[in-house]
Amino acid sequence: MLLPPVLAASSFVSVQPGLIFWTLVTFVIVFFVLRWKAWGPILQLVQEREKQIANAVESAKRERAEAEKLLADQKTAIAEARRQAAEDTRRIQAEMEKFREELMAKSRKEAEELKLSARREIEEQKTKAIAEVRAMAVDLSIEVAGKLINERMDDSKHRALADQFVQGLAPSGTGAVSRTA
Amino acid sequence: MRKAMVLIASLFAAVAWASPEHGEAAAGEHGAAAGEHGAAAAGEHGEDVPGYILHHVTDSREMELEVPLGKPIHLGTLPTLLIPFHDGACTPKMTDHGEVMPGLMEGCLDLSLTKHTVFMFASAALLLITMLVWSNRDKTKLVPRGTGANLIEMLVLFVRDELAIKNIGKEEGPRYVPYLLTAFFFILFMNLLGLVPWMSTATGNIAVTLALALCTFIVTQAASIRAAGIGGYLKHLTGGVAPWLWPIMIPVEILGLFTKPFALTMRLFANMLAGHVVLFFLLGLIFILGHPGVAAVSVPFAFAIYLLELFVAFVQAYVFTMLSALFIGMGVAMGHHAHDDHGHEGHHEGGASHDHGRAHH
Repeated sequence: MLLPPVLAASSFVSVQPGLIFWTLVTFVIVFFVLRWKAWGPILQLVQEREKQIANAVESAKRERAEAEKLLADQKTAIAEARRQAAEDTRRIQAEMEKFREELMAKSRKEAEELKLSARREIEEQKTKAIAEVRAMAVDLSIEVAGKLINERMDDSKHRALADQFVQGLAPSGTGAVSRTA
Repeated sequence: MRKAMVLIASLFAAVAWASPEHGEAAAGEHGAAAGEHGAAAAGEHGEDVPGYILHHVTDSREMELEVPLGKPIHLGTLPTLLIPFHDGACTPKMTDHGEVMPGLMEGCLDLSLTKHTVFMFASAALLLITMLVWSNRDKTKLVPRGTGANLIEMLVLFVRDELAIKNIGKEEGPRYVPYLLTAFFFILFMNLLGLVPWMSTATGNIAVTLALALCTFIVTQAASIRAAGIGGYLKHLTGGVAPWLWPIMIPVEILGLFTKPFALTMRLFANMLAGHVVLFFLLGLIFILGHPGVAAVSVPFAFAIYLLELFVAFVQAYVFTMLSALFIGMGVAMGHHAHDDHGHEGHHEGGASHDHGRAHH
């Protein structure tokens, strides 16, 4: 009962040489056609793409590094410029301060000088005025005295008065008198 | 291998069930003859499930269109092509099993086309068309566009990176990629074609898988000769032991050479055949048990098995290619380690392939 199917099973275990032959032929043909038309181009394409992707990644990395370096450079440049600007500002401020100080000192000195000269002038004018007044007083007094003398010089009492008057004037009065005389 | 056991178990079960019911050994007899004249068996005995299954999975000279629950439509007999090595070598001989063509040993090469040959050609043609139409081969477009191009490229890259380069190595791997790709896609297309209704699986025929394994065998030997040189190759066959041990080692090594393609042959063949037999047997259960209610169980099961077969079609193509790559990698590694050929082969190869694996991680 079991034997016939086992025999039947042997029919698909029997090897047909013709089929082996055809399979080999087909396989070899398919192999060469596909290697020529499909695998070659596909694999080449894939390799090309892999190469491009690798290149792209590599260059992206490189560019990124470069950009980072540039950024760092820029940052240091900006910091440098800022520092420079601050320094300049400080320097200019200091200069300005110095200049202002100088200017102030100079103007103060000038004002002082002006004040001094004005004071000197005033002093001078004052002494001049005093001298003039004194001279005028002497002249006046001399005139008064002359008039007095001309009218009543003989009067001893008046003479004494005039003497006393002249005595009372300072020695400078004599100078002034002499100058006007 | 588990599937092969399922196949045998189901065959026996089917026979045990079917034979008493019909009570005639003729059913089995027809099953036996299914190879050549099975059409009649399936037609006459509508419920001869084992016969029908065997008829479906075995090779035949007839092309026919199976009709569900009816007689198959005969599409014609395929042409016969016999090449005799000497005069009169190809005359059919009468035996007690009917007319039998003389085999290769008697000097007759039977190159006749058969059902499996035709479907093998068909899948090769489909493969060529698919590759030439849908793959992205335009150098100006580096980016794959469309499902076909992406799918093909995914599989191509998988074979290249996961199979060739991982098993053979980065330097030698790319050389064998075209072979592995062809084997992978050829097997895949034959497997998948068998899952289309009215088609049959060429990989379910031992001759086809044997031819494929033969290709791998030749490529493997060529790779190891190329890597080790003819001297190193022959030296490896001695197993690297003392000369007085050679009479033992050489047959063992030669046997070892042939077990690899034999394993490849049987694995692919048994997996594809068993899948189809299980699928048909589940559906045949309806007729064996003679009750439509069985369909409620067996149809979902058959559907699940069909999905499993779709998966197995890929897995077997992958396994065949992976083992081919592994064998080629062993051959290549053997050449690289030919200088220190002491120690025993298994250790030798294991270590070499391990080194290769580590080098590419």
